[in-house]
Amino acid sequence: MKKWLAIVLLVPVFASFAHAQTGTKKRRPLPYEYGGVVIKNFSSGAGLSPVQFDHWLHRAKYTCRLCHVDIGFAMKANTTGIKAADNMKGYYCGTCHNGKMVHGDRKIFEACATKYTREDLKRCSRCHSKGENVKQDYDFGTFTERLPKERFGNGIDWEKAEERGLIKPADYIEGVSIKRPALAVQKDFAIGAKVETMPEIIFSHKKHTVWNGCELCHPEIFAGIKKGMTKYSMVEIFEGKYCGACHMSVAFPTTDCQRCHSKPVR
Amino acid sequence: MPVFLCALVLILSVVAAEANWYFPPPPPPEEFGNLLIDRTSTKNKVKPVTFSHWSHRRKHTCQVCHSELDFAFKVNVSQITEAENLAGKYCGACHDGKIAFDHGKANCEKCHNGDRGYGKEKFPELASLPHSRSGNRIDWVRAMEEKTIAPARFLKVKPTPGIAYEKTLMLEAEWERVPPAIFPHKSHTAWLECSNCHPEIFNIQKKTTKHFEMIKNLAGEFCGVCHLTVAFPMSDCRGCHPTMKGWQ
Repeated sequence: MKKWLAIVLLVPVFASFAHAQTGTKKRRPLPYEYGGVVIKNFSSGAGLSPVQFDHWLHRAKYTCRLCHVDIGFAMKANTTGIKAADNMKGYYCGTCHNGKMVHGDRKIFEACATKYTREDLKRCSRCHSKGENVKQDYDFGTFTERLPKERFGNGIDWEKAEERGLIKPADYIEGVSIKRPALAVQKDFAIGAKVETMPEIIFSHKKHTVWNGCELCHPEIFAGIKKGMTKYSMVEIFEGKYCGACHMSVAFPTTDCQRCHSKPVR
Repeated sequence: MPVFLCALVLILSVVAAEANWYFPPPPPPEEFGNLLIDRTSTKNKVKPVTFSHWSHRRKHTCQVCHSELDFAFKVNVSQITEAENLAGKYCGACHDGKIAFDHGKANCEKCHNGDRGYGKEKFPELASLPHSRSGNRIDWVRAMEEKTIAPARFLKVKPTPGIAYEKTLMLEAEWERVPPAIFPHKSHTAWLECSNCHPEIFNIQKKTTKHFEMIKNLAGEFCGVCHLTVAFPMSDCRGCHPTMKGWQ
């Protein structure tokens, strides 16, 4: 009897936790925090702090496609299973972070190693920096000062920055990427909103292919064989699926409604 | 023993029902929406900051501060510091000596005064605005519609034109004899951006915003994020449930 009552009393308590996601307002990440990813598959096992990866610095220098297609990083944190051993073999981070590759006038520092000196430990903490007081080579404020501004996300209009040539993200790494003639860019098209009087979405293939090519989205995220074939809703996007795979945490966030819902219906 | 537990269940359900009707006591109109911000002030041996919503919303829509300047919807959450203000963030976006009074020594007391009623002598300036039953006793929505006030929608970064979503929703009440609540998108989008409320406060699944009940509103969630202490308070039942009888 006592147990039974306790269960009856506790059920509503647990039920209230189950749907705690709406009703309150979350903290919005600061511009330099946006697109930050904490990678902690094996770090603590090796006695190191988790890796703090910031998209803003890498995306200013490389396209999304390069890492997420050619190198093969998954689109969700901690699902790639990056191992130090693989980095040392030249996969994942180690593709570039091998102490040999050059970007501009800088040699890219080597990622992981089995043999290291006390001095080398400083290099470990350049990536394994979560919770550590590490002074990074690049300061967000100084680095982004000259880039065009936008609302939300990193507070930067990355699209304009690339268009104006203020950043020139590389899309090719010798030995990893393969040069093939590009496919013709598909036309921009409108996606009707499901809710009456909501402006239609203008989707631009052109703007997306600069960073993503075709392969980043098709066919896994969007089947892409026939227009209208993949059915999805805003609710699923908010859950991080479809457009939400990028536009919730790395590309400009869905809080900027009008940037997609831009064609008034009337 | 079972008798005791049954009594406990009964008491708990009465307490739970009671919470549906507990409205926080209203402050005087000139203090409604005033906040004392004291995340670090007292720790740093200065008085807490008084922030008056009424004096700011005359000139700026909610979204200027709560989207563009990124102030949280909860007091003492935003990481406002002197350094940030001096760098032009948060309050410093306007309080720079050009748009509004600066952060200099002469002006400390204007914010750091620890007095919730600070600046009330200016409240009568709002006497010409349309009146209402509750809160500041000012109908802010009508004031903007009638152009008695013309609050700005942005400071520096011009947003793309707003989405003209004007649908009025009728929300059926859970309780018998409580008439439906009427939710006009239009009067909300005049002040706010879609993303101020969606999807964090209200998801957009039709009729399935889970646990959206009066008791949650009164605990400061959902409508209660604003309609307890800043926008007209929920003790003004008919503000949302217009056909409610026997109440205000």
